[in-house]
Amino acid sequence: MRKAGWLSLLVALVLPFMALAQDYNPDAVLTFATNADPTLNPWTPGAVIESNLINTILFDQLTRYSPEDLSPVAGLATSWEAADDAMSWTFQLREGVKWSDGEAFDAEDVAFTFNDVVLVDELGAQSATQFSQVESVEIVDPLTVRFVLNSPFSALPYYLAAFSGMLPEHVLGGEENPLTVASFNKQNPVSTGPYKVAEFVPGSYVRLVPNENYWGEAPKLAGIVFRIIPDANTQVAQLLAGQLDLVTRLNPNLLAGVEQAPNLDVLRQSQNLYYWVVLNQQDERFTDARVRQALLMALDRPAMIDAILKGYGTVATGPIAPLLGAIYSSDVAQYPYDPEGAKALLAEAGWTPGADGIMEKEGQRLEISMPTGQFGELVPATLLVQQYWEAIGVKANVDVIEWNAYIQQVVVKRDYEGTLAWWSQPPTPDVTPYYSCEAVSTGNNIPNYCSEELDAIMTEGRRALTPEDQAEVYGRMQAYLADELPYLYLWYPDIISVKNSKLMGFADINASTAFQFAADWYVAP
Amino acid sequence: MLVFISRRLVQGLVVLFMISAFTFFLVNLAPGGPSSLIDFQSTAEQREARLKQYGLDKPVHVRYVLWLGDALTGDLGKSINQGLPVASLLRQRFATTLQLALAALFLASFFGVLLGVLAALYRNRWPDHLVSTLTTLGMSVPNFWLGIVAIIFFSVQLRWLPASGNFTIGAKFSLADRLAHLILPAGVLAFSLMPNIVRVTRSALLELRAADFVRTARAKGLRERMVLWKHTFKNALVPVIAILGLVTTVLFSGSVVIESVFGWAGLGRLAIEAANGRDYPVILGVTMLVGVIVVLVNLSIDLLYAVVDPRIRRES
Repeated sequence: MRKAGWLSLLVALVLPFMALAQDYNPDAVLTFATNADPTLNPWTPGAVIESNLINTILFDQLTRYSPEDLSPVAGLATSWEAADDAMSWTFQLREGVKWSDGEAFDAEDVAFTFNDVVLVDELGAQSATQFSQVESVEIVDPLTVRFVLNSPFSALPYYLAAFSGMLPEHVLGGEENPLTVASFNKQNPVSTGPYKVAEFVPGSYVRLVPNENYWGEAPKLAGIVFRIIPDANTQVAQLLAGQLDLVTRLNPNLLAGVEQAPNLDVLRQSQNLYYWVVLNQQDERFTDARVRQALLMALDRPAMIDAILKGYGTVATGPIAPLLGAIYSSDVAQYPYDPEGAKALLAEAGWTPGADGIMEKEGQRLEISMPTGQFGELVPATLLVQQYWEAIGVKANVDVIEWNAYIQQVVVKRDYEGTLAWWSQPPTPDVTPYYSCEAVSTGNNIPNYCSEELDAIMTEGRRALTPEDQAEVYGRMQAYLADELPYLYLWYPDIISVKNSKLMGFADINASTAFQFAADWYVAP
Repeated sequence: MLVFISRRLVQGLVVLFMISAFTFFLVNLAPGGPSSLIDFQSTAEQREARLKQYGLDKPVHVRYVLWLGDALTGDLGKSINQGLPVASLLRQRFATTLQLALAALFLASFFGVLLGVLAALYRNRWPDHLVSTLTTLGMSVPNFWLGIVAIIFFSVQLRWLPASGNFTIGAKFSLADRLAHLILPAGVLAFSLMPNIVRVTRSALLELRAADFVRTARAKGLRERMVLWKHTFKNALVPVIAILGLVTTVLFSGSVVIESVFGWAGLGRLAIEAANGRDYPVILGVTMLVGVIVVLVNLSIDLLYAVVDPRIRRES
């Protein structure tokens, strides 16, 4: 009895101190997965999905996305302001920021990143097209930069948080091509983020350790390891075995078994990402909006979401996802599943069933060649579209091709009549790169849709600087797009991440944003 | 013998040259392009700029001549998607694949010959049936599936063995750790290689047991064990060695899959990544390296025949 009394006294005395001393485990190392060897430079051509998350931890950007509503908040810049004529933006940089090698970060680095890398056409930098309205970056003083524009660009602060990390001028300044320096990209980059690279074993893993020069509060983990695991099934197996702490962008069909695991949290998140079907507007059969509306009406999208995404998604109404809050508008034309209505609409447009049941008009048939790429859910989704269209007398000839060859055929050569894929863009309503007449044939306007009216609305949007003005202009744009359907909008998929419950401080909104705040991550003791 | 070796070496060089030309034109003329070039969200101007940087704006035959010239001086070029010299990528990855390949080859030949002998000795009895069930399984079950099942069973359920990689990250080198990481991938790969070896061993033994010289040996009054090991088994080795040569190529194609499933950074995975990303110099590099290995393995097997079989020695 006496013994027990002593013990409880001891516990009562020590416990509060333990809690005080350690509200996190300073020795914790997290293990993540990436599907291929990353390139540790956010601007290098080809540095995409396998590199994005690591680079987001390493390379701080001028702005970040707010974990609440994805609006731009302070990163390496603490405040910013557009000029009255909307032709420039001025950014105030954070004081006291150092690179991981101890050198100071200042306006020179920002000017270098843009003037000598992103804006140099010959380098073909990865996200450079996001900044085609930027003419140059001027140094106002060591902690102030001005982005000079060639046309108004209200979305600039959003884009600066989208895979747009700052590069060190003092390291890469002398290089002929700062994007292909192997000792930087594949070994030991210099960065300003909370963690820095300790070791990169090609094909195996990248190990990060805290950056002792970090400008913010000291990071709370002893390290983060990114293992290179190409196979998604293996990633899930390792997650279940406790050998991985996080898997992002998981295919919903692999979730079985994960949902029941007690130590894993399934996060249903979203991004500004939508799937679509397009009909080549250089083919005159598809230039009548009624035909496009009918083809969308023929699709039972909720059923497709259930079949392909196991219900992890919502029907899309346009190119702007609901997570954009006030800017998203659902007050637009909707096209619920209605095959009879679709047929009626086709009849109105002059299409009638031919001898074999396929719709015909003036000797032309609604027989659509539909190449589809072997990637994610594209093939099963295309096959469902084919079935739904068959029911209204439209024949799709699906041709499954390897992904790389698909991009060459559909995106580069525009050699297709109809196809299904997706767009993903930063959380801004500025969709110009995907819809403008300028992007027909060469840019990202895959349907080759061109309308002066739409171009005018989008230009107006780029001038709209206040949230109220933006909501008004982009509300009109969403209504126009829903009527015209340059893209047949399918769904906004949920982006599924699965994390070990021990990982705390991980922003819920989506993985890309959570990684901008990696300094806040910790593991409870 | 020297004449024989040099003739085979020249033949090997011709084969390698043909492989290089065939692969080069095949991959360069295939639709698509390097993933950094043909990226879904890139625009035409970006692709144009990158095409120039990689020297892909020149015609294919010009590029082949340039590549061949460099390759002959030992320069295999630079990876388009990774920006690293191909030679250094091959060096890093080859060691890993070699571990896996040798372990799998050892397991497959040890158990393959053992099971083959068992099956032949107990022909049409239960051990033979058991072995033939195993070999049928090994031939018909795809190894990526077997790999995932093995991970789920041994790593996720039992937690005996690690699920991926070839060593524990951050830990000091230890043989036990390496072996623990090696067991599953090498075992799965060996399981798919084994059937060929079992079958060849079994049929070679059975065929020889009915051969004249074996009957003579028995007639001399030799004990059965002596007949089996001294006379039959030694002669049965020739076809078994031949199959080992063939298995080497299967070994490399199998390791492509196994390395992806088990997250091993080997040549196979390098090849897959390079093919998916149309990284021409890397595809060429891996193909040539594997080509050289296959040519050398076949040459050494020809030499081994001569060691095992005196008749071949006399002919050459």
